[in-house]
Amino acid sequence: MNKLTKAQIDAALKLLKMPADSKLVTHLNACVHCGLCGTSCMYYTTLKEPRYMPARKVEMVASLYRRYCTLTGKIFPHLVHARELDEQMAEEMIDVLFGGCTMCGRCVKHCSIGVDIAYIVRVGRQMLAAMGLVPATLQATVDAALNTGNNMGIPTEEFVDTIQWMEEDMQSEEGFEKATIPLDKEGCHVLYTLNPREPKFFPLSISAMAKVFYAAKESWTLSSTMYDVTNYGLFNGNNEQAGVIAKHLHDEVLKLKAETLILGECGHGSRATRWEGPNYLGQAYEFEVRTVVELINDYIRSGRIKLNPALNAEKVTLHDPCNLVRNGGLLQELRFAVRQSCADFVEMNPCGNDNYCCGGGGGQLAMSEYNERRLKIGEIKANQIRATGAKVVVTPCHNCVDQLTQLSHHYKLNVKIKTIAEIVADALVMEK
Amino acid sequence: MSNLEFDGDGFLIHPETWTKEVADEIAKADGIENLTEQHWAVIKVIRQSYEEKGMAPMVRVICKETGLKLKDIYELFPLGPARGACRVAGLPKPDGCV
Repeated sequence: MNKLTKAQIDAALKLLKMPADSKLVTHLNACVHCGLCGTSCMYYTTLKEPRYMPARKVEMVASLYRRYCTLTGKIFPHLVHARELDEQMAEEMIDVLFGGCTMCGRCVKHCSIGVDIAYIVRVGRQMLAAMGLVPATLQATVDAALNTGNNMGIPTEEFVDTIQWMEEDMQSEEGFEKATIPLDKEGCHVLYTLNPREPKFFPLSISAMAKVFYAAKESWTLSSTMYDVTNYGLFNGNNEQAGVIAKHLHDEVLKLKAETLILGECGHGSRATRWEGPNYLGQAYEFEVRTVVELINDYIRSGRIKLNPALNAEKVTLHDPCNLVRNGGLLQELRFAVRQSCADFVEMNPCGNDNYCCGGGGGQLAMSEYNERRLKIGEIKANQIRATGAKVVVTPCHNCVDQLTQLSHHYKLNVKIKTIAEIVADALVMEK
Repeated sequence: MSNLEFDGDGFLIHPETWTKEVADEIAKADGIENLTEQHWAVIKVIRQSYEEKGMAPMVRVICKETGLKLKDIYELFPLGPARGACRVAGLPKPDGCV
């Protein structure tokens, strides 16, 4: 690594010196080193190296805080284990805070005093971002979103061609001859959003949701340009870039005069848009923002769609995306949709708020550098799935879908991975 | 595997170093013992798109050019069009959640 310049160091330390952020100071000073977080963490449990202990991750940032923001640390750094922000420290931070944490927050739930460890990890990432030290692979995904409006750089024309192709494909199925996928329609109740990997490589989840909208007689549309529900600004630690990306969807809702922004099946995108979005934008939303799973549940509860669980006869389990369940509170909502759509449901152990991450969160899927670790820690998830005996794993997050697909292949699980829209669409009973 | 440079995900770092033999080796590592004519048809479309546009094609284009159905593509490459087909075709890893 090149020697850090004074400008880089100052930019990083500025984030620690914000006196307004009492949460940061509190959480940096609260760890009592009990070690409960260790066995919560997929990295520490699998790789067994102390540097992956969540408490150690907090300590990295805390040691810098003591060195630069406390009197004792400034005068006698060794007395309080305060560390310099130098190249070695930066390299360790990149390796562990970017490459050794999915920001899943499982350690936070288990922490004896409630330190928000994932938040501290993100502050560490923010410091690295301020120094221009985000791993290139992760930054490339953010740059694609900034430059093209979607994180895979899909040209509008090719997106539109794919949507029309999916629409024709859907209309060839019995019962859906009149179903459509509207583009850029103004004044709809719902503006729906996608993960770009759907149009690019896995478009059947788009037509699955279009079928559900058709069955519910919903007034909905997709945007032909700003449809990307992801926001990798949550992961690269650059709040300014996160704000630019959040503005894409915000402005599109206003432009198309939609009433509700419905977030497609994406864990981090739902979190970054619905819960973090107003912070990035510096304003509250002028419209309603919800996840698609909640909307589907409205349809089921009000009888707008009818489902026959027997149409999904295979044994199904549910993987809880961290950002929707542990960090988003949608535990019961996900279960309701899945239980209504299949005949044989089995929970993983542990499940819900205590479930393990797929192993691909926090931007790990985008960072090739740490692929080996990602697959290794995924063994925990693979074993959980195997123990259920399920043939189908449902998860409302396309990032989890990709990691689980790879785990199924790598650990020979032989399971199908589906989104909630897909399993609901397969259970739809259409009126004659 | 040969003296080629791969990233941590096993994608070729320099797509121009790709050969048919490399494709065979990557496919074997993914559990595809023999690349069939259909596999090669998919690989050809992906390489052509990369050479012309510098990026992987949409799966729609793969289906259109090869005449294969989506279901066939997912069966031919169990890891999907990105981690499966694009990797065998020697492309760098696409950005995003793949």
